[in-house]
Amino acid sequence: MKVGRRKGRLRLRLEPVEVALLQSLFDQLEAVLDGDDATDGTDGDGADAIRRRLVPDGYRDDPKAAAEFRRLTEDTLRAERDERIAACRDELDDSGDVDITDPDVARRWIQVLNDLRLAFGTRLGVTEDDRPYVDPDDPDAELRAVYHWLSAVQDSVVSELMG
Amino acid sequence: MTSTAAPDTAEEVAEEAATASDPDRPWITVVWNDPINLMSYVTHVFMTVFGYPKPKAEKLMLDVHHRGRAVVSSGTRERMELDVHTLHGYGLWATLEQQT
Repeated sequence: MKVGRRKGRLRLRLEPVEVALLQSLFDQLEAVLDGDDATDGTDGDGADAIRRRLVPDGYRDDPKAAAEFRRLTEDTLRAERDERIAACRDELDDSGDVDITDPDVARRWIQVLNDLRLAFGTRLGVTEDDRPYVDPDDPDAELRAVYHWLSAVQDSVVSELMG
Repeated sequence: MTSTAAPDTAEEVAEEAATASDPDRPWITVVWNDPINLMSYVTHVFMTVFGYPKPKAEKLMLDVHHRGRAVVSSGTRERMELDVHTLHGYGLWATLEQQT
C-alpha cells in the first residue's frame, strides 16, 4: 500500500492481495449493515454492536430525544454508507490504482476505511492500550492484522490530505 | 476516557434529566473519546466539517483524547443536530446537549 502525489494527482496504490482483501471487506461491511456479522462468520449480537457504534445515540441523557433523533437520521446514514461502499467498489479495479485527487472521492475513501475500522475495532473490543502488534497465537490475529492495516491505509491518506 | 467503543449504557443515561426548556441557553455539540478513531482522522474531520484551522482542530482532538470529551460547536438545536448527524457519518461519537 502506498499513498502519494505525482503530477498533481493523489493516488492510493494497492497490491493485488490488498485489492482482493478490500473487496472482501466491502462485502463484509455490507453484510453487517444488513444484519449479519460477517467479520466472525456469525450473525446476531456482533452485528448489532457494530451497527450501534456506526449509529450512536445523538443525545446522551435524553432517551426520548435520542430515539427521535435516530428515527430522523438512521436511514440517511445507512443510505450514505451503502452509496460510499458502492462508489469505492467501482473505483477499485484490478490495477489497485485509485485516484483520490477529487476531494469527494478522498472523503468517501477515508469514511469507508473508518466504517471498516469501526466494525473491526468493535468486533475485536479494541481499547486505548492496544498497540499495533499482533500476537500470532491470538485467535483474532487475522482480524487484528486487518484492523491495523486499515489504520495504516487511513492514516496515510489523511496525512496526505492534511499536508 | 472511555475504554469501550459502545455508546451510552442505561445507567449513564438519565442521570441528569435535561432541563431542556430554557430557550436562551445555546446548544452544544460534544465529541466523546473512543478507542478506535485515529487522532489524525479526528483532527482531519474537525478541519473538514467545521473549517477549523489545523491548530484548533488538533487542540480539540487532544481535549477529546485526554479529557474524554470536547465541545466542538455551539448554536441552535437544529444546527447542532445537523453537526451531530454529520459527525456520525464520519464515525465520530458525537452528541448534542443544551449548555448548562
